[in-house]
Amino acid sequence: MSETRTDSAQTAAAGIDYRRRQRLSRLAQKLVIFLCSVVLAFYVLAPISWLVSSAFQTEAEIVSVPPHWIPENPTVKNFTAIFGATEDEEITYETRSGVDPAAGGFIPSTAKDLPKAMWNSILVATLVVILNLLVGVPAAYAIAKIRYWGRNGSVYFILTTRVIPDIALVVPFFLVIRKLGLLDTISSLVITYLAVTVPFTVFILMQYFEGLPDELDKAARVDGCSRFQALIRVFLPLSMPSIVAVVLFTFLTSWNEFLLALMFTQTSASQTLPILLAAFTSDFTVSFSFLNAAGVLAIVPPVIVAIIFERYIVSGLTAGAVKG
Amino acid sequence: MSDIATYSGRRSLRNRFGYEERSAIFFLAPVMAVLMSVAVFPILYSLYLSFFQIKLTRPNRTPFVWFQNYTDLFTNELFWTSVRRTVVFSIVSVVAIAMIALLVSLLLNQNFRGRRVLSTILLVPWAIPYVANALMWKWIYDSGYGALNGLLYQLGFIEDYVIWLGDQDKTLLLIANAFVWKEVPLATILLLVTLKSIPADLYQAARVDGASVWQRFVHITLPSMKPGFMLVMIYETMMAIRHFDLFFILTEGGPGHASHVLSWHIYVETFRNLSFGSGAAMSYVLALVTFALSYLFIRTLGRKV
Repeated sequence: MSETRTDSAQTAAAGIDYRRRQRLSRLAQKLVIFLCSVVLAFYVLAPISWLVSSAFQTEAEIVSVPPHWIPENPTVKNFTAIFGATEDEEITYETRSGVDPAAGGFIPSTAKDLPKAMWNSILVATLVVILNLLVGVPAAYAIAKIRYWGRNGSVYFILTTRVIPDIALVVPFFLVIRKLGLLDTISSLVITYLAVTVPFTVFILMQYFEGLPDELDKAARVDGCSRFQALIRVFLPLSMPSIVAVVLFTFLTSWNEFLLALMFTQTSASQTLPILLAAFTSDFTVSFSFLNAAGVLAIVPPVIVAIIFERYIVSGLTAGAVKG
Repeated sequence: MSDIATYSGRRSLRNRFGYEERSAIFFLAPVMAVLMSVAVFPILYSLYLSFFQIKLTRPNRTPFVWFQNYTDLFTNELFWTSVRRTVVFSIVSVVAIAMIALLVSLLLNQNFRGRRVLSTILLVPWAIPYVANALMWKWIYDSGYGALNGLLYQLGFIEDYVIWLGDQDKTLLLIANAFVWKEVPLATILLLVTLKSIPADLYQAARVDGASVWQRFVHITLPSMKPGFMLVMIYETMMAIRHFDLFFILTEGGPGHASHVLSWHIYVETFRNLSFGSGAAMSYVLALVTFALSYLFIRTLGRKV
């Protein structure tokens, strides 16, 4: 009897011990997760914070050694130089107030082109989005819902065009666009960006349409809809999430595109934001605080879009890349 | 996809151009027209161009030279240097991307407070333009006032500021770091999908059998992630071998030829030496390599669907 009592006492003690160990290990797990999260957040955010922080620093502050991680006298001078410049009051080396020319702090005379470049970027991206939807939606519907001969072939064809490297298109594009007299125009960008966006658009939409039941198509057709009406009235309203994803990707791709724009644009008539940024970086006299302010302007729109539409983006990326 | 194949296989030749085909053509015509003119035509035109010697400096003399643009590549020292740089850059980047993305996806696969915030933050590098990314890292690596120097100096790791991008041994790695930072989010999202698709019963069964956390990771998680890994590796390799933006802004191929990668070489040959024929030939080589990779890419995907 006494033996059994010690036995049960032992198991009870072991039980307490086990529970304590479990609690400890859960605590340890939480701690590890927390530490990893902090490291990840730092890895992602630190470079960006540095960019943003230095965009608000004065010329005197940005050249301090070691650097000021947080601006002591934050200034918005760089941004007013970009948006406040008018045609008659150019902000240049000479007219910029309060800066000793010898200390640097050069704001390029092309600073006033930045709003124009942003506008060009928005215009190009919007046109590319519209064209993508116009050609992509019907194609995706046909591939997903019409059982035609050669369907597999068209899927593989679009997959293949998706992987053509942009740099392989640059030489033929350049010669053709020059021949057409479209160099340094917005339309040259809109046309060539279709090559890097349309395949992906068709892909995401196709995946989504395939997930919608075939019966919808049949029911609409029995009720007397043409295929086109079935697409417009039945499928389009149902496929809004994928349409949103497509709009976002296409917009971001166009907004971020650099290589093609570098080849085809020459003046502020068609230069997009990345091109102007790149031009600033190659000019050694341009102050880094101004450069960073321009960089901030380039990352703000895509970052806002990414944060607001996170869910659509993630689902679109997984549909377009994984199942594709 | 297999049901499509059997379906179309059943159709007789006579029926091949029936009602379905006619309506499909109506819907597919716009996309085919667009892709033919902006993808198929340029790639074929580029092949045609690569058989000529086209120098924009001598616009009236463009002799047909057969494969000379290609055979010249074998003896072109700088071309092979650029190929070596591209290979090093791609391997370093892709391995780093895969490893970091593995760790991040394992973390984000856990349930904890703040996970959603963290995954939203993670999208930021993916969303920003490559040019802004390049500018940001150029400023971080800056030899005079950059953050890397400042941080290492404050922590006492370096005595004097270092000219990071001026060091031939480090340049390629520093650029790869900027590339990895931007590419990790996408790779993580792709890996997370594969992680989420692992059935929970597998883990339960393993736990019943007494497998430790580490054993479960090695015997269940890693093997199940293989398709996701393949996808990430192939996709990121395709992105890395064609990458141009960072090289253009950070180093312009320098110092010396330390970051003279293939895409930069093509750019210099085409738009600085104005030699369009050989530029087309080189970009064709790059396109063919990408096609070979994408064949693997599609096959891996095909097995998954």
